[in-house]
Amino acid sequence: MGDKVLTANRLTDGIAVWLDATGTWVTSLQDALVARHAEAVTALEAIGKKSYADNLVVDVAVVDVQETDGVLWPLRLRERIRAQGPTMEYAPGYKPADPAFIAV
Amino acid sequence: MYRYDEFDHAFVAERVAQFRDQVQRRLSGELAEDAFKPLRLMNGVYLQLHAYMLRIAIPYGTLNSKQMRMLAHVARTYDRGYGHFTTRQNLQFNWPKLSDMPDVLAELATVEMHAIQTSGNCIRNVTADHFAGAAADEVADPRPYAEILRQWSSVHPEFSFLPRKFKIAVTGAERDRAAIQVHDIGLHLKKNDKGEIGFAVYVGGGQGRTPMIAKLIKDFLPEEDLLSYTTAVMRVYNLHGRRDNKYKARIKILVHETGAEELARQVEVEFAALKDTELKLPEADVAAITAYFAPPALPQRAEGWENLARWKKADPDFARWVHQNVQPHKNPDYGMVTISLKPIGGIPGDASDSQMDAVADIAEEYAFDEIRVSHEQNLILPHVALADLESVYRGLVAIGLAEANAGLITDIIACPGLDYCALANARSIPVAQEISRRFGNPERQAEIGELKIKISGCINACGHHHVGHIGLLGVEKKGAELYQITLGGSGDEHTSIGEIIGRGFEPEKVTDAIEKIVDTYLGLRNDPSEIFLDAYRRVGPQPFKDALYGDSKAEAA
Amino acid sequence: MTRIWRETGFVENDPWVIETEEVKAGEGEKRLLSLDELIVKADESNEVGFGVLIKPADDVRKLEPYLDRLELVAVAFPAFNDGRAFSHASLLRERLGYTNELRAVGDVLIDQVPLMLRCGIDSFAVSNETAIKRLTERRLPEIPHYYQPTARDAEPGKSYSWRRQAKPAA
Repeated sequence: MGDKVLTANRLTDGIAVWLDATGTWVTSLQDALVARHAEAVTALEAIGKKSYADNLVVDVAVVDVQETDGVLWPLRLRERIRAQGPTMEYAPGYKPADPAFIAV
Repeated sequence: MYRYDEFDHAFVAERVAQFRDQVQRRLSGELAEDAFKPLRLMNGVYLQLHAYMLRIAIPYGTLNSKQMRMLAHVARTYDRGYGHFTTRQNLQFNWPKLSDMPDVLAELATVEMHAIQTSGNCIRNVTADHFAGAAADEVADPRPYAEILRQWSSVHPEFSFLPRKFKIAVTGAERDRAAIQVHDIGLHLKKNDKGEIGFAVYVGGGQGRTPMIAKLIKDFLPEEDLLSYTTAVMRVYNLHGRRDNKYKARIKILVHETGAEELARQVEVEFAALKDTELKLPEADVAAITAYFAPPALPQRAEGWENLARWKKADPDFARWVHQNVQPHKNPDYGMVTISLKPIGGIPGDASDSQMDAVADIAEEYAFDEIRVSHEQNLILPHVALADLESVYRGLVAIGLAEANAGLITDIIACPGLDYCALANARSIPVAQEISRRFGNPERQAEIGELKIKISGCINACGHHHVGHIGLLGVEKKGAELYQITLGGSGDEHTSIGEIIGRGFEPEKVTDAIEKIVDTYLGLRNDPSEIFLDAYRRVGPQPFKDALYGDSKAEAA
Repeated sequence: MTRIWRETGFVENDPWVIETEEVKAGEGEKRLLSLDELIVKADESNEVGFGVLIKPADDVRKLEPYLDRLELVAVAFPAFNDGRAFSHASLLRERLGYTNELRAVGDVLIDQVPLMLRCGIDSFAVSNETAIKRLTERRLPEIPHYYQPTARDAEPGKSYSWRRQAKPAA
């Protein structure tokens, strides 16, 4: 079983968030808690269900990641784009995604 | 254009209050997500990859400077300083908070705007020819009828939970600039032999997973029967449209599975019972609504002719822009201006808040305060005196929206794709940007001529790729993006669905493939007046398959 | 717990039961028949006072010969987003001229109640907590300006023939 993190979108503002080790939903994938065993994943899923029921988040999902030199890298392109934002300059003051991170 | 009366203002205010209550119940947890979702969709609120998305309705693509400035204000105040104009003439914001939305909608209501029914399984924005009321070839302005349908379909209690979304488009000329044949209902406004106004009614067109061209089910529907006939179609669809499979739930599937003739018969039965009811449109009401769309009083501006010739001579860039982006107006002293939202290498259809404000200023000063959004993601100023074209052009140059590429290869339609959209399989925007940069040279674009590239990041086809002269469909293959190319699609009065040309291309190979297609076209066209679409229809896919795939058999991806 | 609501308030002692595996009509209760059952029973007797449950795929026009023998027509919303019953209700009132009780059953939520009312539905079997609460408080999330004529009688709207307004509260 590969490494996994829990992700969702915040109810109030829709911003993509990940669950960190303190049980807080944070806006950076890199701060996410990584589940490396089946029991940890089950625990994540349970927290996800509770957060949804508590109206904190919507669209909860478990996402596959790979950890290399401390950097979490989602296996799916979609999740990498979610983690970093649109992949081109789209508005002044907002950085596009890092092409190296996004690349297949 | 239409102006709200007291009734409209009251309705929108009540709708905002209703949604504010629903949002409050959702945030407090009293309303669960699955019950809230259809309610928020009917107020234009999606959840996308990074954030919520709010789709504002721009009825039949018409707005004025005050409304455009409000959109700029919303972009600036509640979002990240920009908006995206869509293939259904609406505007999307990509970063609004749910908690802010009632306030956003309240602000929009002050300028007669809303986000009602821009999503959900209900009747969506009724779109129309973006040159309505100005085009030289127009038989009648479709917008009064679009407005009547808009009102009638607003919070229609019987049709708020249809099997699926429902899209209506209206055109008033022989040339179809509203793609009516790929809509659920397409209305072609025309006059009969007696000069009476009516509609040819097409039903069951659509793109997406199973693209289909609409079937003509009524040759001539008299004007007064518009609402009763539409009610009949909607009721048959509501009762018999499939609800077992989301991908088979549009009316096009019902038409296909029932047969157009049988469906038309079912509609006629229902229509017969509705024809002489209170749904009949009184002439006075049609006249009253039509009066809102009376063209502005256009003063004679004969000096424009001479000035224009002089300015064009002095500035070749301006000349090129006039040639490409200005279309003939009913009034010979005027032109219809296309403001391209496709700067070379830019994001198709996006505009910043300052660009929106500047367009508002230009429209107010030079264009009788009227702006349109086309389904090709550009803005239109339908009434500009030739004598003012140079000033308009300078204003557009100042904000980077003077690209002279309307209808050319770099005037690409692209959906937001995987950079934004939760439904997407692949990105559209970077593909569009690269093609745009490769073909950016103005002379080369002029040489190639009219060529409509449309890109969708998934099978839902929001980029309208099925009706692109060249269509690109992004798919996911083994975790990577791949692009299927279709050729020969068109959304005009000779609607055709593009044909898949062969196996797909990796992102880094797409632009070269487009180049091969273009070179093949240039090599086999009769002369420069034979546009790509016509050449393709003449020679078929084989020369293009050979160019792309060589002699080996090309299997569809 | 399911309660029956009408605009006059919650109704006690409603006799109608939708039978299931577990639930059967008891003493003083009446069973809602399916459309097919209704047709059979009505054709073979002179009974009146029937109650019938119209499912989304039913053809509601089949009720036409039996209207005056029906005490209750229930239209089902198995999922709140299955909107066929809105058309059933509209046809029953406008086309067939049915005048007795027309009840929404199934997934009845407060946000759809105003739409159901406008389609001519006049009673509601409600189990959702929020719906019961809001109905008790008479706080319907309504928009009293209408852009289309519907089965339910309304005041003429302003300016255009298709507009209507909510009738002032009785």
